[in-house]
Formats: sequence, C-alpha cells, structure tokens
Amino acid sequence: MTPQVTPKVPTQEPAAPAPAAPVEKPTEIPAAEPLVGTSCRRVDGPEKVTGLAMYGADLFPHAADLFAKVLRSEHAHADILAIDKTEALKVPGVLGIYTHADVAGTNLHGLIRRDHPALAHQRVRYRGDALAVVVAENERAAVAARDRIEVEYKVRPVVATMEQALAPDAPRLYPEGNVMGDKRIRRGDVDKAIADAHAVVTDIFNTQTVDHAFLDVEAGTGIWDGQMLTLNAPGQWVHEERRLIALALGVEVEQIRIIQPATGGAFGGREDISIQIYLGLAALKHPGKTIGLRYDRAESMRCRHKRHALKIEYTLAADAAGTLTAARIVVHSDEGAYASTGIAVMRKAASHATGPYRVPNVAVDVYGVHTNNNPTGAMRGFGACQMAIAYEGMMDRLAKALDMDRLLLRQRNLIVPGDAVTTGQRIENATARECLQQAIAKFNAQPYAGNEGLPPHLRRGWGMSAICFGLGYGDGFPDCSRARVELNADGGATVYTGGVEVGQGLLNTVMQIAGEELGLPFEKMHVVAADTELTDESGSSSATRQTYFTGNAVRIAASELREQILDIAGKRLRVHPHEVTLQQGWAFETADASNRISLARLHDEGLARGYSLKASALFKPRTIGEVRGTGQSPRAFITYLFGAHVSQVLVDIETGEIRVERHIAAHDVGKAINPQSVEGQIVGGVAQGLGMALMEEVVYRDGRILNAGFTDYIVPTIKDLPPVEAIIVEHDDAGGPFGAHGVGEPPLIGAVPAILAAIQDATGCAVHTLPVTPERMWQLLQVKSGKPMPLPMPMPT
Amino acid sequence: MPPALAPLPDNVPRVRIACTINGESIVREAPVDCTLLTFLRDIVGLTGSKGACLEGECGSCTVLIDGTPVTSCLMLAAQADGRALTTIEGLADGNALDVLQDKFIETGAAQCGYCTPGLIMAARAVMQSNPRITEAELITALEGNICRCTGYASIIEAVRRAYRTLTP
Repeated sequence: MTPQVTPKVPTQEPAAPAPAAPVEKPTEIPAAEPLVGTSCRRVDGPEKVTGLAMYGADLFPHAADLFAKVLRSEHAHADILAIDKTEALKVPGVLGIYTHADVAGTNLHGLIRRDHPALAHQRVRYRGDALAVVVAENERAAVAARDRIEVEYKVRPVVATMEQALAPDAPRLYPEGNVMGDKRIRRGDVDKAIADAHAVVTDIFNTQTVDHAFLDVEAGTGIWDGQMLTLNAPGQWVHEERRLIALALGVEVEQIRIIQPATGGAFGGREDISIQIYLGLAALKHPGKTIGLRYDRAESMRCRHKRHALKIEYTLAADAAGTLTAARIVVHSDEGAYASTGIAVMRKAASHATGPYRVPNVAVDVYGVHTNNNPTGAMRGFGACQMAIAYEGMMDRLAKALDMDRLLLRQRNLIVPGDAVTTGQRIENATARECLQQAIAKFNAQPYAGNEGLPPHLRRGWGMSAICFGLGYGDGFPDCSRARVELNADGGATVYTGGVEVGQGLLNTVMQIAGEELGLPFEKMHVVAADTELTDESGSSSATRQTYFTGNAVRIAASELREQILDIAGKRLRVHPHEVTLQQGWAFETADASNRISLARLHDEGLARGYSLKASALFKPRTIGEVRGTGQSPRAFITYLFGAHVSQVLVDIETGEIRVERHIAAHDVGKAINPQSVEGQIVGGVAQGLGMALMEEVVYRDGRILNAGFTDYIVPTIKDLPPVEAIIVEHDDAGGPFGAHGVGEPPLIGAVPAILAAIQDATGCAVHTLPVTPERMWQLLQVKSGKPMPLPMPMPT
Repeated sequence: MPPALAPLPDNVPRVRIACTINGESIVREAPVDCTLLTFLRDIVGLTGSKGACLEGECGSCTVLIDGTPVTSCLMLAAQADGRALTTIEGLADGNALDVLQDKFIETGAAQCGYCTPGLIMAARAVMQSNPRITEAELITALEGNICRCTGYASIIEAVRRAYRTLTP
C-alpha cells in the first residue's frame, strides 16, 4: 500500500534541545510566564519558512501514483445531451473516465442545501460545473484525454445578471424560478417613522463579486485501500466534508478519513467542497493507488464560489437632532448557480443591515437571485461586509443632509451596553463607541494636513467606520466544538482539535490556551489538528468562531485535566489540591515550593493511581432561531464583536488613482490570546478590505469570467498598503476563553467603508459601485464636474 | 536530493539538464516545455518553491539563479542548465535557520506560509545585492510578491530586522 502522509505533530524549533530527564531537587522552578496574552512564536513557523511544510500541492508529486483532471462545462447554461469518451479513452496512459453515471451516491453536495451536482447530469448551470473526471498514469495524459472528451450541449440562454434573472420572461435556472429565497426583518412602524422624519436619505450600493485569491490552489491526494478512503485535501471543516463526501459518493462516513495538509489561506474559499469528491471518486475506482489532483489558478477561479455581489437599496431617516428613527432596506443578492452558503449570507446581511446603530423602526427584505454566474458563498465577513458599506455610506450621507459632524452623528446613534441591534438582541458588550473613540484619538495624534501644500491635481480626505459582527453560525444553527487534551509522559501536553489551521494561527491559540490552564511552557505543548481519525469535530474555521468555540472546548478540557493533575499532586505532596500551584511544568505546594513534583513524574504517578490523564470537552452554547418574517431573536448570535476604522486617502483627480495613506483599525477582541496573531488578522483584513474597496472584481460576460488569473484579477501588493495602525481593544467577554472572542472577519468589514468615506471626503463624490478603480473614480469626477466623458466600457450606475 | 517523482509520458521530447541546486550537482531529464518550477517541484522533488498564479504575478515561485531572483514559473527548466540555483530548501544550515527565516517567524510574517518561500528568496537576493537599503528600495524589491494574509507589515518588519543583523 502506498504510504500515507502521517498526520504530524508540528515540530518545535529545530534548534530546541531534546527534553532533559526531569531533575526534581536542585533546579529552581522557573518564574511563571503566562501564555495567554503572549506572542509565542508560531508552532508551524519553522516548517513554513524552510519550505518543508507539506501543502496539498506538495503531496501531489511526492505521493501520487495516478493523476486526475476534471472536465468543466464550456457553457454557462446548457442541457447535456451526450458525453462521448471514445476518443479520450484512446489517449495512451488513460485508465478511466468517470461521469455522473459512475457515482454511487447522491452525486450532490452543498453546505446548506444539497443542490450542487458533483458531476453534472443533464444540465449545467455555470461554467465551473464539472462533467467528468479523468484518471491517467501521468498528468499530461489526463489533460490530453480531458480535452478529447466530446460533450454535446443544447445551449440555453444565459442569465448573466440579477436584472435578467428577475425579468418576467427570464429563462429559469430551476423549475420554481430564479429567486432562491428571502429573509426579512420587521421592527416597529417604518412607514410612519419615515413620514415623520426630519431628514430622509436614500441611495443604492452595488458591491462586486470578489474572489478569495488564496495562494494555495486546490490540490491534494486520495487513496482507497478497500476499507478506508483517505483524503489529504485542504478544506475548512474536515468533519463536514467527510459527511458530504459520504453522501455524494455513497460511502459510509466511517470509511472516510480526511487529513488537512498545510493550507495556504482560505478566507471562506474552502468552505464548499472542491477537489475532495473527485479525488474520492477516482480513488474508489482505482483501489490501492494514490490519486493526485491539482487545479491551476484559472480552474480554481472558474469553479470556486465567490463573494456575493449585492445590490442594496437603502433609506435612512432621522429626527432633527440626528437620532436615527428608521431604515428601509431592500437587498438583492447574486447567488449564482447553486445555493452554497447563500441562505446564511442572506441572513447575515439582514441581521447586520443597520450595523451597530440603534434604529427603532427597521424593514429589511433580502432576496437571493440565481444567475448563471459562479455560486456565491462564504468569504470573510459574508453579508455583514457588504451591509457595512451601505450603512456607513448612509451615515455619511445623512450627516451631510443634516449638516452634522460625521463623528457626532455616529456617537449619537451607536448602541451602548443594553441596546438592541436590528434582530432585537440586546448587547451587553457593545464597545463600538470605544473602538471609534480610540481610532479617532490615534488619527488625531498626528497632524492632518488636508489639502494644504498639495499640488492641484491631488486631494486628501479621511473617513471613518464603525461596525459590528455576530460571531458563529447563529440563528439556532447547531454550532459546537470538541477538544481533547492529554498529559504526555514527558510532562508536556497535547491538544487534539478537529479545527483547521488555514494560516490564521489556530494551532498557537489552542496550545496557548491549554498551556495557560496547565501551567506549562509553550515548548511543552503539542497539537494534533484536523484529522477525522485522530480528532473530534470542532466545526468550521469560519464565522470568526474558532477562538471562541474551539478555544472554549480546549479550555474546558484542559481545565478538567488540570483538576486531575491537582488531585494527583495533592495526594503525592500530601496537601489539599487547592494548595497546589502549577507552574512551568511543576506542581508544588503553594506555601512551600520545595515540596514539588514535575509533571513528567506526576504523569507516572497518575497512571499508577488510575487516572486517565486526558480530558475531553464539548462546547455547545445555544443560539435562538430568528422568527420567520420579523427576523427577531433574543440571541441570534452567541456574542457580538465591534470595531472602528479611520482611513486617509490621497486621490489624483486627473488620473483617478487612489492611495491609502494611513489606516487605523481598532477592534475589541475580548482578549488577545496571541497579540501578534491578532494584529496579523487586523492588518491582513485591512489589506483585503483595501483590495475590495479599490481593485478586486471578478468580471463576468455572459457567465464567463474574463479575469480568471492574477494578471487581470488584481490584489493588493506591498506597494498598495499604507502602514496599518492596529489597536487591540480588550473587554473581557464573559463567555469566551480567558475573555477572548475573535477577530478574523471584522477587520475586512471595517476597512472598506472607511476607505470609501475617505474618498468621498477627498473628492465630494459619493461611491455607489465597487471597486473604486481609477477608471471608476475618474468617471465619478467627470460626472461631478458636469462634463462627463464616455468610457470605453459601460459602467454600472 | 529526492529521486525523480512524477512520471513522464514516453512521447514527450526531453532535455537533459545539469545544474547545481543548493550546492549539490544534479542531472535530470525533463520535458522540453517544462518550466523551472515544475522541474524543481515535480522532477527534482523540491516542493518548497510554490506555484500560485503560474503567470509571473505572485512571486511564490521565486528562486535565485546565480544569485538573481527569478519567477521560476516563467522560465524553462532548460534555461537553468549549467547554472547555480538556490531554493528555499538551501537556506537553513541543518536545524539552524537562516536569519530571514528566523525573523519571518519572529514577526509573524508567515501566516498561511504559501508566499513565504518566495518572499524570503526575494529578500535574500536584495540583501545580497543591496546591503544598505532604503525603505522605498526594500518595498520595491518585494513588490513582485503577493501575500494574501498579512497585509505585508510583518514581512517588511522581518526583512528590516534581518538587515539589522547585517550592519550592527
């Protein structure tokens, strides 16, 4: 049997000496060093900086015996009349070509609805739909055969935009029509409040389709040994992927093992199944052979889901004092061809429609609309990020209408502890005001020159944003993490978690939490993550949930193990367990440190006394489903995060180029378990927000992506980023591990509206359509100047 | 050096490539159209150099040829014949990390880590060619490398700190 890649316990620093045999007497117990709040060096750092970390694509040449390729649809919308493999099978080295007819299970996947065929049958609905999997002795033969498969299509009209999809005579993607679903919020009496308002502003925002653009393109290996289907493939939720693969391929869940290789970013882009089902199918057809499958960038972008493009129609009303009275919001969301996580995104958009503001009367209607574009699903900040662009844009428009200071308007309306967000949930940890205050204070700490001294073609401006974010799946959806912590023979401990490390720093987070609980130094901690055979389910690495959920499970498990250790130590040291201190790998009598035992010896003592020296925990807090029709719930989300940004930009009004000069991001993270990781998430989130604000857009023409590569899909480089000033605000979250809650998504959410506000401040041009590329900025300036010149390409208004 | 890995079909014209990689002489056959990146990863078996865009935009595949950084996804393997290559695998001395590798960990510059080998090689090249660098020159030296996770601040800081060890 081909050797599998063994799940690895990430190694310590290469230079670290082997642990010495415990010496009980002469050494001093080192001083306590807290792990929570310390920027311990990343445990996966050494393998990543030396090139030794094994990502999916790195397993491929090392381990694969056979090579797979996937045939994609040539059309965005068509019936499949026939698939002819005859010529393709003649290619030397080809061993098999498989279509939907070869799939034993449901052949369907999808995180919320199982509606996405793994291999299309009868119909294709976007150009990423897969039709066949080729297996060959080498990759060249697989490619050659894939390109010789003859598919007979009957082309249907393409539904390219939401407008086309909603037209009365629109071609239907599904018999029930093109509207996938809806989501509503109803609070108070919006009509009356708007009629009575002193100021009412209305505007429309068009957010764009965004690609995750993680660097590590989908790749991995799979093998079926007759009993177990083992997949080394990067995802975001190994246990759920196992369930979905089992259903799609008709294999028992217990017969599937998923091992997460090193993973080069995700940002939501690995939440939907990608290569896993094709690897599994190919492996099942070729027992005993390790199958390798890798996409290239173009295929990755062509088939992967995207961030939802939203059209947001927003009306905001206030009284004469600037107190918000009502919001009416209608959202249309381009769901693409399949459901993906779209329903959750619609819900998130609705529940975050008014952000961190107190608005007594709210009506939100969100509609998901199917088109023949890529399915849209999870991406960092989904739903919440698009709505922040709208509600913060509206706050600036309202400030202008009221002739009121932007900051004052926000301060007047930001929720305070005990106030409710739009779902009716009352928030005790409402810290948006403080975040905004800190961000503004930092901004004001440096002189702001404005346009003074600038040449006439340059304009400077600044803007701010305040945002909130409901953490976890919420809405009553089952959301839980499990963890196991074991004391090792050398006195160290190992954390087992099903959570997936995709670059965010989860491994350090769980090691530091468990080490803190057990009084162990970081170098004594180990972790085993994301292997369905070795670890228990910890939910997905998404929704900013791992620190809170898995962190809590790890803390509870470690706490249980701590109780065992204290118990053993008390017996051995002949004191009460409450009189024992755990510190730096020692247990000692608090009043007399010379009465002590190392955890290595305590391990043996514990085993002799019949202790298990391991503990498991489940963390499963309850959220409450929103009432259908009104969207109200006392606890739609388990907790809320707050943040505020200030951005300063320089706009070249002759060329439309925009440079972000300064960016300040303040986020309440509860407690920063690893401040360096938190800062990395904040600065990295701002970078992705900058990309979304200024440059990133997946451009479709009739369902075909025109820029499926990094030459044309532009992401920020080192030259685009200003120095980002991150402010970590820490307000203990009573429900989080050591007070922590999380940070992953909010930095992106806050960055985009602050940059757009700065552009408006600099130019006087309100932004409706993203991204604000130089062309779009230039056109906005032309329109403002009253002498618009036509552009070579049409612009959405 | 690992053995040749990915199987090659019989009908592809091949070329013999003799070069030095990380100080070790190697001779391998490769398809004539094989890029240097594919040669390193699939034929030589050194997977530290990454391929992310495969069109010269992201810099993940950066290696040094006679000290000069190149995007190995845009270069044919045959062009490396007779040349001396340095890849990310060639920097650490046994368990002792190179100073850039150490500083990348120290500042948190490696999150997902996929851009890291290319960035370290780009930084290694500029440290060798420009020992007294300005901030602007440093940023220009790294502008061909895309990182999707960090926002670059920790990367700049890592290279700054590595520079400080050069000129005490």
